[in-house]
Amino acid sequence: VSTPEPVGVAILGAAHTTHAWSYARALSSSDGVRLVGVHDVDEENARWIRQDFGVPYFPDPAALAGRPDVTAAVVCSETIAHRPMVELAAAHGLQVLCEKPLATTLADARACVAACADAGVQLHLAFVSRFLPLVSRMRTAVRDGRLGDLVGLVGGNRGRPPVPPAYPGWITDATAAGGGALVDHSVHVTDAMRHVSGLEVTAVSAECGSLLWGCMVDDLALLSLRFDGGAVGSIDPSWSVPEGNPWDYDFYLRLLGTGGSLEISDTAASLQVVSTRGNHRGLRLASFAEDADAAMLAGFLASVRAGGLLDPCATGADGVRALEVALAAYESAATGHVVSLGPGPAPGVSAS
Amino acid sequence: MTHELRVGLLGAGLIAGVHAHAYRASPGVRLVAVADPVATKAERLADQFAAASAADLDALLALDVDIVDVCTPPDRHADAVVTALDAGRHVFCEKPLARTLADGRRVVAAADAAPGVLMVGHVSRFEPDHRTARELTAAGDIGQVRMVTHTTTSSMPGWSESGWLADPARSGGPILDQGVHSFDFARWVIGSPAVRVTCVAPAAAPYALSTVRYADGSIAHIEVSWAHPAERGFKLACEIVGTEGRLTWSYDHLMGGVLHSGTGTEWFDVLGDRGFTAELQAFTDAVRAGGPSPVPAADALESLRTALGALESMRTGTTVDLTTWDVP
Repeated sequence: VSTPEPVGVAILGAAHTTHAWSYARALSSSDGVRLVGVHDVDEENARWIRQDFGVPYFPDPAALAGRPDVTAAVVCSETIAHRPMVELAAAHGLQVLCEKPLATTLADARACVAACADAGVQLHLAFVSRFLPLVSRMRTAVRDGRLGDLVGLVGGNRGRPPVPPAYPGWITDATAAGGGALVDHSVHVTDAMRHVSGLEVTAVSAECGSLLWGCMVDDLALLSLRFDGGAVGSIDPSWSVPEGNPWDYDFYLRLLGTGGSLEISDTAASLQVVSTRGNHRGLRLASFAEDADAAMLAGFLASVRAGGLLDPCATGADGVRALEVALAAYESAATGHVVSLGPGPAPGVSAS
Repeated sequence: MTHELRVGLLGAGLIAGVHAHAYRASPGVRLVAVADPVATKAERLADQFAAASAADLDALLALDVDIVDVCTPPDRHADAVVTALDAGRHVFCEKPLARTLADGRRVVAAADAAPGVLMVGHVSRFEPDHRTARELTAAGDIGQVRMVTHTTTSSMPGWSESGWLADPARSGGPILDQGVHSFDFARWVIGSPAVRVTCVAPAAAPYALSTVRYADGSIAHIEVSWAHPAERGFKLACEIVGTEGRLTWSYDHLMGGVLHSGTGTEWFDVLGDRGFTAELQAFTDAVRAGGPSPVPAADALESLRTALGALESMRTGTTVDLTTWDVP
């Protein structure tokens, strides 16, 4: 068995601190990978990645992206700054994995896709839910026709409010993040629904608001969807989980078809713990689910080595479509109208 | 990766199939041959995994396997493990370590003298639920562990060749075959040796309730059953009580999905084969590293002895003092 050259990876932007740290952990514990450096405009955002994994900090992203030993980039800058980092990576011929959502505007999102297509490099979106084994089993069941034709898709990805000091302030800044809970979490569920069903969203209506935590962006949201072929759906992407809840985040999908139903929830893989130690009183769930971040990074690296995007990795086009649904939802919430979408890319088809 | 590890499976029953499947998840590990006294069983399993079938252990050893994986009934473990260790091979031995204490001690002595790594298949230590519980308790999340209740209940398993499992003289019944997992896990989480065991069981059914006391004062309660209705399936539940908290889980809650369709209901179990895959990965990693064994024979001997003590308690109707008890 020959040992391949290690893939040199640069982290271009670490403003999404929790995700960047988790990806850095997955990369630093993978065989055949070298984490060459981390860049962020704010050195503080790279602090824990430097400290915990010994990754050098680069104040100049071009100096990092241009190193000859870097072949791939993970972009975790503020959402509004995804585009310049993706374009920089593409300009240096790097394969790219970009944090979700792809951008704050469709123009920026499409520019990311175009930059990577023009440079002939892969663009992956960090739609980590695709790498949950339960989602994979669901997709297989749907593809095998065990549910018949889908008629209803309900999903949710709820979480704690990502507010300071645990999270950087930009995540609850509409300009930097492109919105609040709606855009932050709905893109995961939209993508997972498209991924398991093969259906495309055709129309969106939504309600949302800043109703819980007093932040400057929406923290509660509900999307209603229509899919091609007549199925309907809904998504709850809310930051609606209070302190002391047994879990911090969940992810679920419930499908109804003409031939059956299938429901999955990621909170099942957990122990129930009550501890009188520490801050958390009352019941909490201690998850032992597989590390989907690590599986996603493994999929990215395997695609880099294979020279082409491997199933079930999400493409730039998938990122554009999930953003399109979220932005349509914001439009609907603002106007009170249902927003129709044009035809999307065929699911699973790479934009490059 | 230094070189390919060649595995020979001794036994072609239920657990051998699980192991054969799990080895496929380990890079650089190849199942070379399967041996079983029932030649058709060996051939069927070997064919499924593109391996050869072999007549017996000697034939496996002659195929230059690096690893012998012993999946025979427990009363056939010791001779095979000792022979393979003496032949300089690494050995994976399915639980329980042996059917008798004398056999168990023989294996421990052979492992001490042999160059190979011997690991015993206490798979609970690698199951994500049990392992997470151990990590949380070891980190002090619920304070000092004081009580463990572990229950595994099912109907009589029907998979054993010629029904050896149903013969307590060969299998030890549910107290040894199933309960040894629980005794091993409780001891691992409590971190103190067992000093006393009491076991009560009805004459009418393969069902038993054991209570174990540990040197640090902690208590474990182990329920095992092969007497529940078949349609209820296999159930596991565990409760760990500490000085500063409590931790529980149950197979009733470990279902990440449910599919209802024309062909019936299918539950998506969140454990799957993760435990066996992690167990055999830990074993082959240890073989490559030259040890130490992730589950050494000495640990397995202690768990075997507690289970045998429970059987003795059941037989005699007395509490067995494990600090002094020995097999007559």
